[in-house]
Amino acid sequence: MKNLDLIKFPFSKNNPITVQVLGVCSCLAVTAQLKPAVVMAVSVTVVVALANLIISLLRNTIPPRIRIIVQLVVVSTLVVLVDQFLKAYMYDVSKQLSVFVGLIITNCIVMGRLEAFAMSNPPVPSLCDGIGNGLGYSVILVALGFVRELFGSGTLWGYPIVEKLGLYGIGYENNGLMIMPPMALILAGIIIWIQRTRNKDLQED
Amino acid sequence: MKTFSNRYVFLYSAALVAVAALILTVVSTSLKPRQERNQQAETKQMILKTIGVEATRDNADKLYEQYITEVDDGDCPYYLYDGGVVIPLKGTGLWGPIWGYMALDSSSTVVGAVFDHKGETPGLGGEISTDKFAQRFIGKKMDLQPIHLSKTADPANPYEVDAISGGTMTSNGVTEMLAKAFEQYGEMLPLKEGSSEQTKEDEQ
Repeated sequence: MKNLDLIKFPFSKNNPITVQVLGVCSCLAVTAQLKPAVVMAVSVTVVVALANLIISLLRNTIPPRIRIIVQLVVVSTLVVLVDQFLKAYMYDVSKQLSVFVGLIITNCIVMGRLEAFAMSNPPVPSLCDGIGNGLGYSVILVALGFVRELFGSGTLWGYPIVEKLGLYGIGYENNGLMIMPPMALILAGIIIWIQRTRNKDLQED
Repeated sequence: MKTFSNRYVFLYSAALVAVAALILTVVSTSLKPRQERNQQAETKQMILKTIGVEATRDNADKLYEQYITEVDDGDCPYYLYDGGVVIPLKGTGLWGPIWGYMALDSSSTVVGAVFDHKGETPGLGGEISTDKFAQRFIGKKMDLQPIHLSKTADPANPYEVDAISGGTMTSNGVTEMLAKAFEQYGEMLPLKEGSSEQTKEDEQ
């Protein structure tokens, strides 16, 4: 597969959330608002891309017996770095994301890509695969964050859009269910449903 | 698959961990001042909020200078503002530390309060950090006894505040935190002098 395809593939037929069904936990937890969802998406993309690159560069030197530990050390180092940068430069968002930044370490997407791809492929394709999977995760997160914030809180990126449009005046009310985690699961389920209806080859018997 | 000697495995893991530790140390040390500034600004924002001043991270320093005087009395620091005193609260919730600030006027009536937590359950105990919860304290009193949280709080009782449903352990933590603060600050604060109507009249 070409590098560009490696980036594009996870967007559609190999999306980490809707097809591989990985990383769902954080997708439920951080998408009540758009901003934390975007920051989480960027953080995961950075971590999975760099981890893929580093592991791929080291892949011939890593003793197979301790490869999972080596992967964990690389991933946790990157995650702690991201956490430190967020605390220094985006303090409010880092508070909102709280434990979920740390939990990127256990995000199955990261470990999954390292084991399945970076351990057996050269650096550049690995980097592309990481970026692709990160973006595939991001697109779902941002979509959920957009819908949930708009209908749940009536704002977008904190901007009170529904209030400005004057919809409350004519009896519109926010949907409280939208900001509860189960709604993220329902929305993700709807996305999976639509995707599988359109791609027959993704359907399982 | 290539095989590696034990010696190689040990040296490899040692080197890897050393490199990771070095990177983390350098980054953590260089970002520390910035992170601490953020935390201090947040504390100032919280204190200002109890007296009804909304500050952003950028103007927190200036507004803090303007409204608040810090009094560092050994173990019990407190903060004076025009009209009363802000006391810090420290306690333990269900999963970790909880803390907050409470502004009292000269008759020990709560003017405002803020609470925050490290890792209480979102939606349950975590609700203590919401404005909705903090507003329940306004108008309550910290003079003869501390405020406590209760499932069956009587709105007319100045020492009772409605607890959080589903957040009993965190609510108990808040009650304990308030009791501790009352014990620490009850005697020493200027608010005590004005606590009963009697002394207030005497002063006048």
